[in-house]
Amino acid sequence: MQLIQSPMPAQNSNKKALKSLLTTATCALLGVNASVEANTNPLADWKFDTALMVYSEVNRVSAAEAIIAGTKTFKNDEILNLKVTLDALTGASANGAVGQPNVQTFTSPSGGSNYRVDANKTPLDDTFKDTRAQASAQWTQPLANNYTWSVGGNFSKEFDYLSLGANTNIAKDFNKKNTTLSAGLALAYDQIKPSGGIADPLTPMLFGNEVISGTYDDEGGENRSNKVTIANSDNKNTVDLLFGLTQVINRRMIVQFNYSFSHINGYLNDPYKLLSVINNNGLTQQYLYENRPGSRSKHAFFAQTKYHFAHSILDASYRYMTDDWHIHSHTVDLHYRMNLSQDNYIEPHIRYYTQTAADFYQPFLQEGSTVPEFASADYRLGDMDTYTVGIKYGMPLGSGKSMAFRLEYYHQTPKNSGFSQPGVLAEQNLYENIDAVIAQVSYSF
Amino acid sequence: MTLSKKAERKVICQPRESGFLLSFYAMASPCEVLVDTKDKRLAQKLAEMAATEAWRIEDKYSRYQQNSVCGQLNLRAGECCSIDSETYLLLKFANDCFQMSDGLFDITSGVLRKAWHFDGSDTIPSQTQIDQLLPLIGWQKTQLSEQSFLMQKGMEIDFGGLGKEYAVDRALQLINNQTDVPVLINFGGDLAVNKERMVNGKAQAWQVGIDHPSFYDKTVIVEMTAGAVATSGDANRFLLKDGQRYSHILNVKTGWPVENPPSAITVAAPQCIQAGFLATLALLQGENAEQFLTDQEIKHWAIRE
Repeated sequence: MQLIQSPMPAQNSNKKALKSLLTTATCALLGVNASVEANTNPLADWKFDTALMVYSEVNRVSAAEAIIAGTKTFKNDEILNLKVTLDALTGASANGAVGQPNVQTFTSPSGGSNYRVDANKTPLDDTFKDTRAQASAQWTQPLANNYTWSVGGNFSKEFDYLSLGANTNIAKDFNKKNTTLSAGLALAYDQIKPSGGIADPLTPMLFGNEVISGTYDDEGGENRSNKVTIANSDNKNTVDLLFGLTQVINRRMIVQFNYSFSHINGYLNDPYKLLSVINNNGLTQQYLYENRPGSRSKHAFFAQTKYHFAHSILDASYRYMTDDWHIHSHTVDLHYRMNLSQDNYIEPHIRYYTQTAADFYQPFLQEGSTVPEFASADYRLGDMDTYTVGIKYGMPLGSGKSMAFRLEYYHQTPKNSGFSQPGVLAEQNLYENIDAVIAQVSYSF
Repeated sequence: MTLSKKAERKVICQPRESGFLLSFYAMASPCEVLVDTKDKRLAQKLAEMAATEAWRIEDKYSRYQQNSVCGQLNLRAGECCSIDSETYLLLKFANDCFQMSDGLFDITSGVLRKAWHFDGSDTIPSQTQIDQLLPLIGWQKTQLSEQSFLMQKGMEIDFGGLGKEYAVDRALQLINNQTDVPVLINFGGDLAVNKERMVNGKAQAWQVGIDHPSFYDKTVIVEMTAGAVATSGDANRFLLKDGQRYSHILNVKTGWPVENPPSAITVAAPQCIQAGFLATLALLQGENAEQFLTDQEIKHWAIRE
């Protein structure tokens, strides 16, 4: 009797067909059966991504967000994606008024209380506590002739806001799937029902004994408000068109170009934002509610490339946006993923963003001058630069599970786009920087 | 009879240094599941899943059980029988094996057992006996669709060369859906592991001794980190007449034993059912069994007497 160990593999590759034929045959037998198990465990062929994120601005808003997304791929490559997001927001955000050498008092939007802002501080409204729930569903499926079709819907609700959206997208692969052209349409309807109602634009905020009461809401409760209202709620409609080209350059490189056009129509004001009206000495005389145009059209151009090096991936993108409010913005975003041993990776991230101000942006109004048709002191419509630096660490946990940690620092520098600061305003910082930290833990299984 | 059979269906759990050894009896073989965990309940749960799957496949595809799918297909040979998707996939795999082996691997060859009794005696069937059976053999005479299977009256199929290996793969799949602890499954010498084990914080291959029932003095030691091995051959099954040895490996085209195959051959492959098919196909090459696998760059261990 002899025991024979097989020799090392022969260098005979033309007889290897059996192995690959057998692999194909086995795939059919054991692969499809794997999906039969879905009958016993309905979640077995779902893939889940979950994340917890904390965003915290120094002295301002803090937000916590939980995301759970599930993806199921069906037999014919149809993909169903469901996602639920919960956000909780606390803290204070700038109400648009300018800082003063004295204490300022504001009425809360519901008219029920006052809040005071210390001298020489940027006025922040700290009465906001909000929770938002979002849910979305997306269905994607291949069609004949290399077409892929996708349709989806989303829903978002917070106490004063409701958003409903629907979208559809069609893509076609050419050139052995090295080129993909896509076109998409998205529609959204948003309704805002601010606390205390919709202010009559550019009318003053009311104080203490001026607060209006005596109207009644749907449940018969008494409405109070810190403003002259013109409605309980208002809404806006958004149409987005998206055109894309994705091109595989070679085995290592892929590029993508998108153009999108977006048109929004309706109530575009931030119902809580104010403008200070100052006198020649820079002292605030009153606060007016802002007013923005009733429509906005945006064009955005986006280019992205991903390059696979031997042990790393560079993901670089640039976006240019321009709109008929004359905001122009540039975004540069770089991710560099470096693979460490055993599928662990570390990914530094840097992002730079700059925008010019909307043509109706002004940090305050001056007494005696003509009240413009449109005005807003919302710093988000002003000149600003922001940058983000961060790092992410990801690690596999086996059996297709993985975990990742992300830590980022965000810095925002609003800038003066040429407004002089008369009198006491010269001493005030109207363009206060914002620093924020973002921490996220994500888990996929 | 049924009651005593049910009573045998239990899983015995024994602790071992690195975890637990769980054993049960299925498909006429002793079966083992080795789970490297300190969690006894997990080990028991996984072994229960493996055993339940083995018993399910045994009940569904045993040719010895008249009520099994296999038993019914044989009983109703000549009729067009409706089949479920799992049965279709197994028969489709058998069809692929038939094609890949140029007709040598044929699950309809079992009827030759009516002529050949490999009991160590010198009873060789006559050519007439064999000629009577040959028309009942031939996968190409069957018709398979996703919903139905039809073979000629008198034909038989059996999953003897695939069923146990399929059970190993299925059981390991089920276990992998539940856990990522290292597990080894051994159903009567056909085995598979899901990953390397951790010993003192270091990854280590599973050391598997493959006993050949007929060679008590020889154990093939195989090191496995992932994948499967299966063994074909049984040296006790032969006939000896006029100094000539007849192996139990039959060529379905002639109905006669293959000349000079290894006594047993163990083959490694990613999936157990692949290893099982390759081991059987290698034996069918007779003298050239080892060369056949070497040419295909397939790792194997052969025993010759």
